[in-house]
Amino acid sequence: MGVVTITPLLKTVAQTSPPPPDPSGHPPRKGEGARETHPEHQMTDPGQNQSTRKRRSATQWRGLLYIAPAMALVIVFFVVPVLFTGWMSLHNWPLMGTQRWIGFNNYIRMANDARFMSALRFTAYYTIIVTIAIFAIAFPLAIFVEKQRRFVGTYRTIIFLPVVIGLATASLLWVWLANVDSGFIGPALKALGLVERSPNLLASFDSAFLTIIIMVVWKIAGFTMIILLTGLQAIPVELTEAARIDGAGRWQRFRHLTLPLMRRTIALALIISVTGSILAFDQFYIMTSGGPQNRMISVVYYIFNQSFVSFNLGYGAALSIALLVILMLISIAQLRLLKIGEERP
Amino acid sequence: MIKRLLATSAVATFCFMSGASAAETIEMWVRTGVGDSFKKVVEAYNASHENKVTATEVPFSELVQKYATAIAGGQAPDALSMDLIYTPAFAAAGQLEDLTDWAKQLPYFNSLSPSHVKLGTYQDRIYGLPLSVETSVFAWNKGLYKQAGLDPEKAPASWQEIEVNAEKIRKLGDDTYGFYFSGGACGGCMIFTFTPLVWGSGADILSADGKTATLDTPQMRKAVDAYRSMVKKDLVPPSAATDNGTNFLSFNNGKIGQQSLGAFAIGTLVTEYPDIDFGVTLIPGIDGGTSSFAGGDNFVITKGTKKLDAVKEFLEYVYSLEGQKVMAKYGSLPTRGDIAEEALKGLDPRMQVGLKAIAVARTPYTLQFNDLINSANGPWATFTNAAIYGDDVDGAFANAQGEMQAIIDSGQ
Repeated sequence: MGVVTITPLLKTVAQTSPPPPDPSGHPPRKGEGARETHPEHQMTDPGQNQSTRKRRSATQWRGLLYIAPAMALVIVFFVVPVLFTGWMSLHNWPLMGTQRWIGFNNYIRMANDARFMSALRFTAYYTIIVTIAIFAIAFPLAIFVEKQRRFVGTYRTIIFLPVVIGLATASLLWVWLANVDSGFIGPALKALGLVERSPNLLASFDSAFLTIIIMVVWKIAGFTMIILLTGLQAIPVELTEAARIDGAGRWQRFRHLTLPLMRRTIALALIISVTGSILAFDQFYIMTSGGPQNRMISVVYYIFNQSFVSFNLGYGAALSIALLVILMLISIAQLRLLKIGEERP
Repeated sequence: MIKRLLATSAVATFCFMSGASAAETIEMWVRTGVGDSFKKVVEAYNASHENKVTATEVPFSELVQKYATAIAGGQAPDALSMDLIYTPAFAAAGQLEDLTDWAKQLPYFNSLSPSHVKLGTYQDRIYGLPLSVETSVFAWNKGLYKQAGLDPEKAPASWQEIEVNAEKIRKLGDDTYGFYFSGGACGGCMIFTFTPLVWGSGADILSADGKTATLDTPQMRKAVDAYRSMVKKDLVPPSAATDNGTNFLSFNNGKIGQQSLGAFAIGTLVTEYPDIDFGVTLIPGIDGGTSSFAGGDNFVITKGTKKLDAVKEFLEYVYSLEGQKVMAKYGSLPTRGDIAEEALKGLDPRMQVGLKAIAVARTPYTLQFNDLINSANGPWATFTNAAIYGDDVDGAFANAQGEMQAIIDSGQ
C-alpha cells in the first residue's frame, strides 16, 4: 500500500522540480550586470530573483512533502491526544455522564495526593533498582557475545529470546513459575532441600519485588545487550590494538577507550530502560495486582486506577500530563549528564 | 410437511405480531464467579426459543470498568447481569434503559426480590430487575470431619469451634487444610464471607447512612484475630495469601475442611462435584449471632439497545417457573417469592440454608462500592490482606479507616 501511493508522488515531484541551480554561475553574473548596466540584465534580474525564490519555496514544499507522512502520524497519534489529554485534565470528567470545567483543581489535588506521592516513590525505587540490575547483567553479556567464539550466535539467540515474548505473557508465565503449589520455583527449592516448605513468593513485598526484578531482567536484558553490542562493535579494532601496544591493561582499555566511545550507545540504552521502567504497569497488574497491601502501585497503575476503576478520567489525564513532564525532564537530564547533542563525534 | 408448514407460518405470524423481523441474537455479559445458573438458563432458553442469547463471561473484578468503558466507546452489550450493588451508580449515570412501565405490568412484579428491586430503583424509576439471588453460608466437608474424628453432622457454631476443628483436620495430611479464604486483596470475596462475622455480632463497616466508615470496632478486631490465628497456625493454605478471587472455590478440591462460600457454590458442588459430602450452615458471628451477605445480580438493559423486545422476552422466560427451576438447580435462589417453594421443590435441602440466610442477611448500600470495597487496590481489599497477613494490624486499621472516610467524603 505504502509503496503504491508513494511512488507516483515521487514521480510528480521529480517531474515538476526545476533543474538544480548552478551555485557558481549567479553571483558574478549579477555583479557584471550591475557594473555594465545592461538594460537586458536589469530586466532579467527581478525575474531571476523570482525564480530563485520560487525554487527555494518549491524546495521547502518538497521537504514538507517528504516529512508529511511522519508528521501526520506524530500529529494524529501524539500531538492531538496530548492536547486532548491536557484539555481533559482541566475538567471533572467522569467515564460516564457529563464533564465540568474545574480549571487547575486536578493539579492542586495532585499536589496533596498521598497515594500519588507513594506511587511516585515506588516507581522511582523500581526504576533505579531495575535499571542497575539490567545494566549489571547486560553489559557483561554484551562483552561476552561481542567476541567471536564458538556458538556465539547461539548464545546471542538464547539471551535475546525472552525479548520477543510480550511483557504480559512473560508476567503470566512467571505467575505460574512463582505459584506456591503448582509452580516451579517454590517446589524446586523445596525439592532441593533449600527450604522446608514451598514459599509463596508473591505474598510478601520483598520476595515479590525480587521475583518481578528477576523477571524483568530476564525479559529485558537481552534487548539492552543488543544495543550495547552494536556500540561495542562500532569501536574500530585499530584503536584497541593501538592501546594494547601502548601497554594499556584490560581495565584501562575498558575505562578510557570503550566507555567513552560508547557514550551515545549507553545513553540510548539508559533512556530506553529508564523510560520503560517509569512506565511499568503490566508486571504489577498481572503478577501481584498492586502487590501485598498496595505497595506495588506504579504511577501508570495509579493513573489506570483513577481513570478506569474510580472513573475519574479528568484526574487521570492530569496525572498523565504530570508523568509526561517528569519523563521529559528526566530524559533531558540524562542527555545533559551524558553530554549528548553538544558536539559531533 | 404440513406440520412444518404450520410451524413456519406460526413463527411468521408471531414475528409479524411482535414486530421482530427475524430471530435476534442478544449479546449479554455476565460476571465470573457466580456459578453456572445463568449459563444454564441461557442454554435452556436458546434450546427452546427462536431468539438467541450469547453470554460472555467477564472477570468479576473487571466487569464494572469494562462495561463503563464499553458504554463510553459505544460497544456495550444489549443487557448485563450486573452485581446488584452497582445498579444505582449506572442508573444515576443515565446509561440504563428505564424498565418501570414494563416491570409494573408484570403480574408477579410485587413478588420479585424486594432488595434487588430497591437497589435497581433510582429516583423512583426502575432500571434493574432481579436475576439471581445469592447469600453467603458456611460449608464444611463431612468426609474430612469424619476422618478427623469429628461429628460430621454437627455444624460448628462459633469461630473457636471452627479453629479447633481446623486444627484436627490439618493433622490429616500435608496438603489437607482446615480453613480457606481468598486473602489476596479480594475485596468482593471478603465482603461476602468475612463481614458476616461482624454483622452477626452487631457491628458494621459503614454507618447506617453510609457516610461514616466504622471499620475499627472490637468485633472487627476479634474477627481479624480469629483469621490471623488460623493463618499463623498454618491451618490455611499458603496460596490463600495471594488468591485474588480466582481460586475462591478451593473447597471443590476436597482438601479444605471448612470455608465460607455462597449459595451459587452449593449449586456447583451439588451438580458438578457430587463426590464431596458437605454440610451447610449460617456463618457464625464472632461474638455469637449469625449473618450473611445478600448479593446476586440485577438484570439491566443498556440504554438505546435495538433488541429491547427480545431482551424482555428472555427475562420473562427467566421469571417463568421453568426458568426459575433451572436457575435454582444451579444454585441461584428463586427471585420470585410467589413460586419459590415450587422452584426449590425436590432440590437439595442444603439450598434451603441459603434461602434461610436471607432473613439475617445484609447488603451495604453505597454508590462507591467499587472504590471502597471491590477494587483490588481499594481500602477494604487492602485492609483484609494487611490485617490478616501483615505485621502491623493497628496500622492496617488506621490506614483503611482513614482512606475509606476520605473516599466517602470525596464523593459527597
